[in-house]
Amino acid sequence: MKLIYAYDEQVMELTETPNGQDVEFELRLLSENNWKRMKEVQKRFESDEVYTDVLFYPYENFRIRAIVRHDYYTDFILELMKHRLLTKVEWV
Amino acid sequence: MEQQAVWAIAIFLIIYALIISEKIHRTIVAMIGGVLMVAFGIVDQTEALHHIDFNTLGLLVGMMIIVSITADTGLFKYIAVWAAKKSKGNPVSILVTLSLITAVGSAFLDNVTTVLLMVPVTFSITRQLNVPPMPFLLTQILASNIGGTATLIGDPPNIMIGSKVEELTFMAFINNLTPVVVVIMAVLLPIFVLLFRKKIGTTPEAKQRIMDMDEKALIQDRSLLIKSLAVLGLTILGFFLHQALHLESATVALAGAFLLLLVTGEHKMEEAFSKVEWPTIFFFVGLFVLVSGLIETGVIAELAAKAIELTDGDVVATSLLILWLSAIASAFLDNIPFVATMIPMIQEMGNMGVSNLEPLWWSLALGACLGGNGSLIGASANLIVAGMSGKEGHPIKFVQFLKYGFPLMLLTVAIAHVYVYVRYLM
Repeated sequence: MKLIYAYDEQVMELTETPNGQDVEFELRLLSENNWKRMKEVQKRFESDEVYTDVLFYPYENFRIRAIVRHDYYTDFILELMKHRLLTKVEWV
Repeated sequence: MEQQAVWAIAIFLIIYALIISEKIHRTIVAMIGGVLMVAFGIVDQTEALHHIDFNTLGLLVGMMIIVSITADTGLFKYIAVWAAKKSKGNPVSILVTLSLITAVGSAFLDNVTTVLLMVPVTFSITRQLNVPPMPFLLTQILASNIGGTATLIGDPPNIMIGSKVEELTFMAFINNLTPVVVVIMAVLLPIFVLLFRKKIGTTPEAKQRIMDMDEKALIQDRSLLIKSLAVLGLTILGFFLHQALHLESATVALAGAFLLLLVTGEHKMEEAFSKVEWPTIFFFVGLFVLVSGLIETGVIAELAAKAIELTDGDVVATSLLILWLSAIASAFLDNIPFVATMIPMIQEMGNMGVSNLEPLWWSLALGACLGGNGSLIGASANLIVAGMSGKEGHPIKFVQFLKYGFPLMLLTVAIAHVYVYVRYLM
């Protein structure tokens, strides 16, 4: 089964690219409020005991790159959903 | 030899062997050893409590609280990314810069805490550069043990020595050990570059990705950062002044820790306490009581007499023997129990008429701290990095570490040998 998701383009811009054992996300949040939600997602993965599950690289203008390990892909998507950065998540 | 001394030696050797075997957690073994010393009547409970060095324990707990709260601010990630950008994203320069940050951090925070903070950032930067993390982790282990040698609070052996010998103040450690540590780092950094530069090549795009990062976004709590930096600064200032203020280093560290908890609020307290490495604290408690059995039964005095006999009480021979013995022993044994045994032995040598103990103390500190680089099991920092790295799919093998660590350890101890001889014994 595959996990698909949807998001509001007024909230963020998102690109997803597979890269070997990882999946890379480039995100640009379109408001400070949504940027704060993204920081909560970052905080969740940086406070656990697995250091390489999701690696975050912040850039200026509310842009962030996330390198997500394959085995943490679902966790990352669900965390985005939890913080209302996604509008829909579905197994197909 | 009295029956009590025989029991004390037997308990000590069995416990030491169990610590080395690593079959049972070293804290459990050390605490059982301490309890046995009391249960067999070798020391009574009051004597046992007198032998527990609360200055060492207080210093460790205080620093662990301060650093755990400061780490929550994102400060250490900020410093690492800032340094990577200053290195223009060049992996070789980043390797050197992160090694230097690890060495300085180890000197002023303690080396175990520093590697706990550096390893996650290292994974992050190396992944961004698409280079293997291993050369960075190996050099940081080596730098943490070398940097930790420089100050009283940098490495557990120094904390224990500084705590037991009143005249060896924070400034005395800096004046006597920091110069040789600076020389050692200056010698090792070019060697790190020669050893690893061909293994960490990257692309201009990856370098650019580092340069584009916004390190300011890594600061998670500015208000907490200001409070933490202020208290950390005051605490380090306190260490510099502790002799003039007539305060023990533990009082300075605990004052800093509880001042920080006072200004951050109660909600931080439970979290900060949970991050204190209690197994390490109890390991020390067990060891102090274990060694007290040897002290109270006169075994340590006997060993000191034998050592003086061996070297004819000659300070040069005794110092250099302690330096190399400590280094080789610390490479393959835990340096904490080794130093816990050596401290009363050197004190006993003083009682037996060896007048100039200073070179002996510095030889012990240099040998025990630098010796930790000799093998993967030589120091707590090595094992912690290996554990973290293995969990993330990058195991550091014993032989792989030995190949780099042991020759470089011999080189650093050789530099220390020349330093001790020229500065104290010529």
